Amino acid sequence: MEKVKQKDLILYSGLIILGLAAPYLFSAFKVQLTYLCVLIVLAMTWNLQGGEMGYNTFGNILFYGLGMYLTASVQVGMFFPLAEWTESGGEKTFVHTTAQYFQGIGVGLLVSAIVPAIIAGAIGYAILGLRGHYFAICTLGLGIAAGEIAGGIEIIGAGQGFTTPPFPAEIVDAEARGKFFYFLSFALLVGTFVFVKYIYGSRFRLILNAIRDNEDKAEAMGIQTMKYKIVGWMCSAFFCGLAGGIMGGLIGYIDSTDVAFDGREMGVFMVLMAILGGKGTLWGPVIGATLFHFFKEGLWTLILGWQYVALGVLIVVIVVYFPEGVMGWLREKYPERFGEVIDEKDRKAQVELK
Amino acid sequence: MNKIAKLFVTFISAITLALVSFTSSFAKVEGEYIVLGSAISLTGKYSSNGVHTQNGYNMAVDRINKMGGVEVQGKKYKFEIIYYDDESNPKRAAQLAERLIKQDGVHYMLGPYSSGLTKAIAPVTEKYKIPMVEANGASRSLFTKGYKYLFAVLSPANQYLEVAIDLAVEKNGGKGVKIAQAFEQDAFSQDVRLGILDAAKRTGSEIIIDDKLPKELNDMAATLAKVKAVKPDVLVVSGHTKGALTAIRQISEMKVDVPMLAMTHCDAAKLSKQHGKKSEFALCASQWHKNLSYKDKFFGSGKKYAKDFQKEFGYDPPYQSAESSAALLVFKDAFERANSFDRDAVRDALVDTEMQTFYGNIKFGPGGQNVAKPMILFQVRCKGDDCENRVVAPTKWASDKFYHPIPKWSERS
Repeated sequence: MEKVKQKDLILYSGLIILGLAAPYLFSAFKVQLTYLCVLIVLAMTWNLQGGEMGYNTFGNILFYGLGMYLTASVQVGMFFPLAEWTESGGEKTFVHTTAQYFQGIGVGLLVSAIVPAIIAGAIGYAILGLRGHYFAICTLGLGIAAGEIAGGIEIIGAGQGFTTPPFPAEIVDAEARGKFFYFLSFALLVGTFVFVKYIYGSRFRLILNAIRDNEDKAEAMGIQTMKYKIVGWMCSAFFCGLAGGIMGGLIGYIDSTDVAFDGREMGVFMVLMAILGGKGTLWGPVIGATLFHFFKEGLWTLILGWQYVALGVLIVVIVVYFPEGVMGWLREKYPERFGEVIDEKDRKAQVELK
Repeated sequence: MNKIAKLFVTFISAITLALVSFTSSFAKVEGEYIVLGSAISLTGKYSSNGVHTQNGYNMAVDRINKMGGVEVQGKKYKFEIIYYDDESNPKRAAQLAERLIKQDGVHYMLGPYSSGLTKAIAPVTEKYKIPMVEANGASRSLFTKGYKYLFAVLSPANQYLEVAIDLAVEKNGGKGVKIAQAFEQDAFSQDVRLGILDAAKRTGSEIIIDDKLPKELNDMAATLAKVKAVKPDVLVVSGHTKGALTAIRQISEMKVDVPMLAMTHCDAAKLSKQHGKKSEFALCASQWHKNLSYKDKFFGSGKKYAKDFQKEFGYDPPYQSAESSAALLVFKDAFERANSFDRDAVRDALVDTEMQTFYGNIKFGPGGQNVAKPMILFQVRCKGDDCENRVVAPTKWASDKFYHPIPKWSERS
């Protein structure tokens, strides 16, 4: 047991060193690396619902988009009148000082974590009674509705979109912005991972699994399933909101349906990544998101105009050949490496029975 | 679990190796080529206009290269463009701009299609001090952000249909008119709306319907039903290509009678070809029309450009293509005047641009918008089944008189 732990330690410290060194090693790829961190966070948080709890949600994009708008609004609103900032015909220009920028984004991120979590609690209370497909369809509507509503609210730019505050001009280093957002997203990734790993070792995960495997039995055993479902979703929303806030600042421009409540892309990607890697596992979403991001960045530009066809093919291939994802496939292939003990005689006997 | 960890480590190190070996970048000027970068919508909701833009860029690159290229410090260079598909998505566009600059080493950018995407890319080019000449981002808010490296060859969006309101008021004997308007929820169309609001205020006109339409709009029947009920003097619709097509399709289906119909993107939507007589009398704002009398030595006149474009791509050039071609002419001119590849020298040369192209005069205002070129209005007119866009305003270039009011559907054959 000791030995394994030591190996884990080496692995984790190796990964953290790699993560910290990455923006210097691959300076040109900082933005892609930032995206990767955010994608992994989204996949891991989705996995809490879809993988562990068995509630396939398309609604997490709601928290992501909310986080984006909230961070930007707070960052602007703390120092300037928000309505004048977003007014499209406005002739005024407001410039954040360095201190204002970082104070703003700090408070903004805090708000963008807490508010989505509260909203997840409220919405969860209303709809987590639905099960299976009904829940999935209901959450699908959430993102779409939010996009349309946000597109009509003047104070956050409505259809015009919302330009987030530009990185302070006083910092002359052109790389500073990239590094700032990378380390922010990396910190979020580490935080999310530690949190999810903690959950994996807790009773909470077993309860979520019990809900997935048979909710009625779980209830019969005296578990207040509703409570745990809501708390689970709130945890997801917390990290999704943070991810959205970081992305908003990185992209620099928020559009209601194409950037913030982008269910068609981000909303689908997070599900796809978790399934690709293997849902219901700790490392699955990490591997899935990484593979997916490399596939997307590496191949998409080679097949200009056909990338969505390729994506469609990828989805079909995953569902048909890797329904359990990369981790599931590995587990089937090398069960002993996952600590599963196989009785050779028993296995043979089963084969003969068939 | 430790085996899995090993696998993961192997995986990570393989990726690391791959990335390290891949960190090569192009130079801004490679051999005899000046490399420009552009993210263009080849898929998604702006794909048709994205292709118009790309065709415009390509046409100008071919023409300039064929006619001797760009001369800098006594050496001839050719243009080359690296394209990526931004999928009509601002998030993707910003990411690709970063990629063009950081990974492909591009030092000069051409704009994407649409205001929203330009808004997403401008902060990136600004951050890296990359001059961007854009031809398809007209939203006024682009020019009030104090961007120093953004140059637009087109007139801002709020000017698109203001003239149409003036025209309606004039036809109404100088009295204010009743306006019904419906605009797509996107940066460009919302700016057109602001222009109308200004014009309405100025002329004392009243806005009686003010609808917002969803993106990728395929249906505006609700708005049209209201229009039928309240009978406005002018109906204004803007929503890129799909908006124009949807409006004409449903107006003709629902037989909506309105004395004046003002729109955008009629030529990009090839309205007069796709809907023929149904689109007759529609009034359209345009950045350019082939009948205008501007000239340059690369494309000759607008008519010549239209002919060459038709030969190469098989359709009449919409203004999106013409303005995109003009962007390349601006870059060539700036490089030659700067006589250097230094980004700031090129940027300073762009600021001083003052030239005539087949597309119109180009001179940049303090915000980067083109201030030397007016918008024009044309009206779709038909002879038999053959429909054409005829310029009706401003009077300097008008080939036809503005036909007003539009006859009722019951009187149209």
